[in-house]
Amino acid sequence: MGSADTPPVSAVIRPSFDTIARPFDTITDEQWNDAWETPMRDTVAELQAAFRGGARRIVVIVPTTAMSGGSCHVHLAAPAEAVRVLVKSAARQWGRHGVTVNVVAVAPEDFDIDPSIAGPTSLAPPALSDRDPTALIEFLCSEAAGDVTGQTIVVDGGVWM
Amino acid sequence: MTDRLLGRVAVVTGAGQGVGEGIARRLAAEGAHVVVAARRAETGEAVTHAIVSAGGSAVCLETDVTDRASVAACVRGAVERFGALHIMVHNAFSGAVSHRLEDADLDRHWERMSQTAVWGSFHCAQIAYPHLAAAGSQGRLILVTSPSGVEGSANIPLYSPVKAAQRAMVKSLAREWGHHGITANCIAPVAASPALVSAFEQNPALRRAIEERTPLGRVGDITDDIGSVALFLAGDDASFVTGQTIVCDGGSFLGL
Repeated sequence: MGSADTPPVSAVIRPSFDTIARPFDTITDEQWNDAWETPMRDTVAELQAAFRGGARRIVVIVPTTAMSGGSCHVHLAAPAEAVRVLVKSAARQWGRHGVTVNVVAVAPEDFDIDPSIAGPTSLAPPALSDRDPTALIEFLCSEAAGDVTGQTIVVDGGVWM
Repeated sequence: MTDRLLGRVAVVTGAGQGVGEGIARRLAAEGAHVVVAARRAETGEAVTHAIVSAGGSAVCLETDVTDRASVAACVRGAVERFGALHIMVHNAFSGAVSHRLEDADLDRHWERMSQTAVWGSFHCAQIAYPHLAAAGSQGRLILVTSPSGVEGSANIPLYSPVKAAQRAMVKSLAREWGHHGITANCIAPVAASPALVSAFEQNPALRRAIEERTPLGRVGDITDDIGSVALFLAGDDASFVTGQTIVCDGGSFLGL
């Protein structure tokens, strides 16, 4: 058990995605394998390692492109959304062990993705000027967040709502 | 039979049984020429025979969606036989095996689902693309996903991400292909597929549990309930609907 003085063991996972814009009809099988299979297999392995290593707070970071989709970014949106929902499955299975698993979704720019084609579309400008997810990640890794699991919380300056 | 899809050409993968069969039957009943793409010819031929016997137009092509060459041959066969391809429905999926995520063996618990759901979507969408573009505002990509692709799964954790990937694919392709007039959407059904019926036979309590949590109090019919949603998305009435997931499960899942 953790306490206010001894924070729970935590793991923060940031998968590597293929962020290069690629028209879907030009993607080769080799590129699809690298873009889809590699981040999925790596993320599953990282989640398993975190669980086996005793982590009780796991946070996974994805771009909001997971939810919005993106032109010329099918190969990125598919694994990003898959990771986001994999977290929900992990949360459902590992909750009984006291393990929470959540997603922090950040702006496409924070993954070096062009938001004009692969980010949320909104006529409104960003609601906030800052989009630092550090404090949220710290909270999700803390004892205080023990009742929060399977969630996606967006820190993108208030674009995706 | 009516003619809402008269003259349109559709490929339906996994059409040898279950949801794919229901979609194939429904599209054919509205005048579409349907390619019943099935991994096993014997199941596909039976569905094809039933469609033709009912006055429809169909041909069976043995297709393995995990094999690019096989999908290419299927699409080529559709175009050679019927002259075009307007509608690609990717439904084929392999059985999922329950597992614990911390113990999951990717070769056993991931590989086949990834191949059929995601690689199959990749092959079907990419190979169909030039034909869907040629079809313009009649071009349709429909991927069959699952409510688990939204809410995760406590029993089959690696099933959910492959179904989630399909949802992200249609959102992305809706954005990328919209300028052609092509629409890309998902259906997330819960229906009386052979696998679910078999599960009900082994565990009658499962049927009761599903029906009790379903506002409409029953499991969907593959043709009348699920095929009809596919028909809507395939037809002209849905020409302004793209990038969406329609959950057709009697109201059991309300999380969208």
